[in-house]
Amino acid sequence: MSYSKEKVDTLLHNGISRRNFLKGLAASGVLSSFPGGLLEANEDLNTKIPYLGEKSYETFRNACPRNCYDTCSIKTFVKDGVMQFIEGAQESTYTRGGCCVKGNSYVKRVYSARRLKYPMLQVGGKGSGQWKRISWDDAMEIIAKKLLEIKKDDGTMLGAALTKYSGNFGITHYGIEGMFNSIGYTTRLAGTPCWPAGIDAQNLDMGNMWCNDPEEMKDSKFIILWGVNPASNSVHSMKYIYEAKKKGAKVVVIDPVFTEMASKSSQYIQIKTGTDGLLALGMQKIIIDAKLHDQKWLDANSKGFKELKEYLDKDIKLDDVSKVTGIPLEMIKELALSFAKAKPATIWMGYGMQRHTNGGSMIRAIDALVAVTGNVGKYAGGARYGHLSTWGFNYAALSMPKPEGSVGYTGPEGAKGEFAHGGGGEKAAYTDRFLNINKTARELLNSKGPKVRLLWVACKNPFSQDFDRNQLIRAFKQLDMVVVADQFFNETAKWADIVLPVATQFEENDVNVSYWHYWLSLNEQAIKPIFEVKSDVQIAALLSKHMNKLEKGSCTFPQSVDTKEMTIKEFNPGIYAQFGIKSWEELKHGPVKAKAVIPYADGKFQTPSGKYEFYSEKALELFGSALPKYLEVRKPYDKFRMTSPHSRWSLHSQFQNLEWMEDVHPEPSVYINPDDAKMKMVNEGDTVAVFNKQGLLRLKAKITDNVQPGTVLMYEQWYNNNIYNVNELVDDTSSDMGAFKTGAPGVALHDTFVNFRKI
Amino acid sequence: MQKAFLVDGSICLGCNTCAMACKNQYHQDTGILWRKVREVGAEDYLIDNNNILPTLVSYQKAPKVTMPIERFYFSLACNHCENPACVAICPVGAHTKDPETGICKHDQTICIGCGGCVKACPFGASKFNAKMGQAEKCSMCWERQADGKTTACVQACPVGAIAIIDLHDPKYKELGTSAPVGIDYAINAETKPSTRFIHPHMPKEIYRQPKG
Ligand code: SF4
Ligand code: SF4
Ligand code: SF4
Ligand code: SF4
Repeated sequence: MSYSKEKVDTLLHNGISRRNFLKGLAASGVLSSFPGGLLEANEDLNTKIPYLGEKSYETFRNACPRNCYDTCSIKTFVKDGVMQFIEGAQESTYTRGGCCVKGNSYVKRVYSARRLKYPMLQVGGKGSGQWKRISWDDAMEIIAKKLLEIKKDDGTMLGAALTKYSGNFGITHYGIEGMFNSIGYTTRLAGTPCWPAGIDAQNLDMGNMWCNDPEEMKDSKFIILWGVNPASNSVHSMKYIYEAKKKGAKVVVIDPVFTEMASKSSQYIQIKTGTDGLLALGMQKIIIDAKLHDQKWLDANSKGFKELKEYLDKDIKLDDVSKVTGIPLEMIKELALSFAKAKPATIWMGYGMQRHTNGGSMIRAIDALVAVTGNVGKYAGGARYGHLSTWGFNYAALSMPKPEGSVGYTGPEGAKGEFAHGGGGEKAAYTDRFLNINKTARELLNSKGPKVRLLWVACKNPFSQDFDRNQLIRAFKQLDMVVVADQFFNETAKWADIVLPVATQFEENDVNVSYWHYWLSLNEQAIKPIFEVKSDVQIAALLSKHMNKLEKGSCTFPQSVDTKEMTIKEFNPGIYAQFGIKSWEELKHGPVKAKAVIPYADGKFQTPSGKYEFYSEKALELFGSALPKYLEVRKPYDKFRMTSPHSRWSLHSQFQNLEWMEDVHPEPSVYINPDDAKMKMVNEGDTVAVFNKQGLLRLKAKITDNVQPGTVLMYEQWYNNNIYNVNELVDDTSSDMGAFKTGAPGVALHDTFVNFRKI
Repeated sequence: MQKAFLVDGSICLGCNTCAMACKNQYHQDTGILWRKVREVGAEDYLIDNNNILPTLVSYQKAPKVTMPIERFYFSLACNHCENPACVAICPVGAHTKDPETGICKHDQTICIGCGGCVKACPFGASKFNAKMGQAEKCSMCWERQADGKTTACVQACPVGAIAIIDLHDPKYKELGTSAPVGIDYAINAETKPSTRFIHPHMPKEIYRQPKG
C-alpha cells in the first residue's frame, strides 16, 4: 500500500464519509516520518527494532494515569525524539520494574495509526459520518462563539455542561474542571460510576476511606479477597499476596465467579451474588458467640457494638445465612473462626460488590467484620477499599476564579465527586449546577432552567461506559453542540460535532498518585506531541484565548500554559513532608513513597463520635438504617443475572482498541455455565444473542463453570473493530449509597438481568 | 552454560504482560508474538507436519489435562534448545547458538527468508514475517543481557513467573520438569528444549454453588 501526502491531505481537507475518514486516519500514518525513522505509525510497517544498550537512549519519568489500582511508575526510553520502549520504574517497590499488559502497549498507543490527529468537525451533523478536518483556531472559535451565545441568551453559563471522569487521573487534568470554572457557573455531571456506595459506607463507619499500604499484605496472616480480582486487575498487588501465602497465610477468595484470583487462592468460596453482606453478618455473629471478638479494642474505639450485637442476636439466623448465601453452615463457621483467630488479618473489598442496589450496606457489613475482630488500625490488617490520603495537591489548574459578574445556580449545593478538592472556601451566592453522572442521558434530556445546550466530554467515553444508549443518542442529538476531546475515534466521538485530539501522558507533564498504593510519580514530557494533539490544559488555554478575543474577560483561564509549570504549581509543603522530599525535582530520579502510617492506629476516626461507628446516626438520617443491616438485593427482572466485570485487556474503554492488544485478545465472548448452556442448547463457540429490555448483543459463547448457574458474564470493553458494548444491556438503576460523599448514588451495574438464545 | 526459561504455571496469571513486554521492546509486526502465553487445557493438539527434518525422528505430545478455562498458563517463547533444529537447518547461518550462554540467536540482517527454521522448529518458535519476507524469533534478549539487564519479559512479569536459569548449574537441577501438561508441546524432542516447567494446580479447597 502506498499513500501520497497530497492524497491524504485532500482526503482530510474535504468533507468525507466516516469510512473515508478512518481510511484517512490510517493513511495519514505515513505522514509522520519520525526522526530516526525507526518507528512508523503505519501499522503495516512496524517491524523489529534492535535494543541498543541503555546508554543509547534518553530516559524520562512517566506514570500510568489510568483508573487503575496500580498507577505504575514508568521509565520511558527515547531515541532521536521517538519513544522506543518503556519499563516499569525499578525505584518503586510496588511497580518493581514492570507495567501490565496494557502499560506495555503504550508505544503502540502513542504511534497507533488509529489515533486522532487533527481537530475534526462533523459537517453532516452528529452520527452522520461526514467529517472535515479543521484548524485548532477554527474549532476553538466555533466553541467560544457557542459558549458566549449561551451566556447572552440565558444570562448564565449553566447551559454549558462538562462530563469528565477517569480517563486520565493526572493532577493537572483537573484543569479541565478549571476550564469550566473559568468561564462562569456551569453544569457538571457529578458523582462517580465507579465506587461511590463503598466510599459512603467507609465514611459512615470510619469517617474516611483510608486503606493500609498494600505492600503490608505480605505480612498478613489471613487474607480475604472479597469480590476483588487482583490477579487480573491489580497484578502488582499479587506479589504481596503470594508472599503472604508462601509464608503460610491463608488466602480466601469469596466471589460469585471463579476468577483468576480464585484460581490462585488457598480456598475459593462461591457465593450467591448480592448476599455478601449477610455472610459477613453471619460470620460476626459466629465470632461474637465464640467470644473471639476483640472486646478491648471495641470498648476503646467503637460506638454501637451493643446495638450491633443485639441486631445479630435477634435478626441474623445462621440457617438463613447459609440458605441465602448458598454456602454450607459448617464452612461459614470454619471461615469465621479461623479468620478471627489469625492476627493480623485483612479483607480487601472489590468495587464490583458495591455495584448493587444493596452495595453500600454490604461494604458496611464487611467493614464491621474487620472491626469486630480488632483488625482495624493494625499493621497488615484493615478493611481495604481505597484511599485518597496522598492526593493533597494544590489543584492549581482546577482553582480558577469565575469571570466577574457570573451568574449561576441557586439551588441546594451537592457534593462534587470523590476527588473534589480545593476551589474557594467562601460561600458564594451562586454555585454550579450538578447533574447525576450515572443518569447522564436522562439528566441531559430533562435539564431545564436553563437547558443544557453544549456538552464537553473529556477523559470519558459515555457511549461505551454509560447506560441507556438509546436515550443517550437522543440526549446528544438535541444538544446544540457536543465537543469530544479524546485520543481515539471512539463511539462517543461518533456522536460529537467537534472532536479534539488529546495528548498522551508521554507528550505532556503531570504528576500522579494512586488510590491504592502510596507512591508519587512525576510524569515528564518524553516526546513532542505528534501531529496536532494538545494536552487538555493547553486546549483550555486556547479556548481562553478565543473567548477573550471575542469578549474580553469572559474566561479567566491563562491564555497560554506550559504543562511543566502547571505541574510544579501542584506541589506544596504538605506533599513534600508526606513524601520526605525537598523539591519536586527529586522525583526526576524516580518515584518516592509516602512515610508509613497505619490508618486509624491512633484510634482517631473522623466520624461524629470520633470512634468506629457500627451505629451511625448519619447512616440513619441518609439511608434509613444506623446499623450495617442486611438489605436484599434487586429482584431479577429476567432469566439470568448478567455480570460485567473489568477485563484485564482494557481499562474501561482504553487499550483493547489497540492493534497490539488485538494480538493477545481479539474478540469478546459471553461466558455461560454448562447447565444453562445445555438447557438453551448452546455449544462452545456458538453465536448467541444476549438480550433484555435495554438492548441486544450478539457474540460467541464460551461454556465454563467459572460462572455459576443462572449467571452470564461479559467483560466491559471497547473494541476498535466490533460494535460490542456490554453497557447497552445495563439500565441506570441506582445503588443504595453514594450521595453522601460523591454527590450522587452509584449504579447497580451488576444487578442486570438478561436472557439469551442461540442464533 | 545453558540459559533457559523456568516458567511457573502455579503462579502465572496469564496476564500476557510478558508477551506485550516483548512487543514493547522489539515492536513485532501485528499478528506476530515471539512469546505466547499458552492456556493449559485449552489448546487443540495439531497433527503437525513440522516434523520434516532428518535431524528429527519423532516426538511425543504433552499429555492433555482438563482445567477451568482462562485460568492456568505457561508463558513460552523460543526454548533455546541444546540441539536446535533452527541452527541445523539455516543455510546462511542466521541462527547461531552462543557457545557461552547457550542462547539461540537469530540475526535478521543475514536471514534470507527461506522459511526452513519456521518448519523445522517443533515448537513453532520461529515466526515468518510475510511483510518482511524474513523469519524472526526470541533471542532471549541477549543484547539486554549483555548490557547487564534481564530480559524484557522477565523484568515485566509482575509475579516472577518466568525466570532465567542455567541448566548446567546444579542448584537448578531439581527445579521444574522438561515436560509441561495441557499444551500442544513436543516433549522428548531431539532438539532438547531447555525450558523448565512448574505445573499449575487448583486451589486446595473449592466450593461451588450447587445446581439449580
Ligand atoms: S493499567 Fe495499571 S497496571 Fe497497567 S500500566 Fe497502567 S497503572 Fe500499571
Ligand atoms: S509469565 Fe508473568 S507476565 Fe507472563 S502471563 Fe504469566 S504472570 Fe503474566
Ligand atoms: S525452540 Fe525452535 S527456534 Fe528455538 S532453539 Fe529450539 S528449534 Fe530453534
Ligand atoms: S527473552 Fe526477550 S525476546 Fe525472548 S520472549 Fe522474552 S522479551 Fe521477547
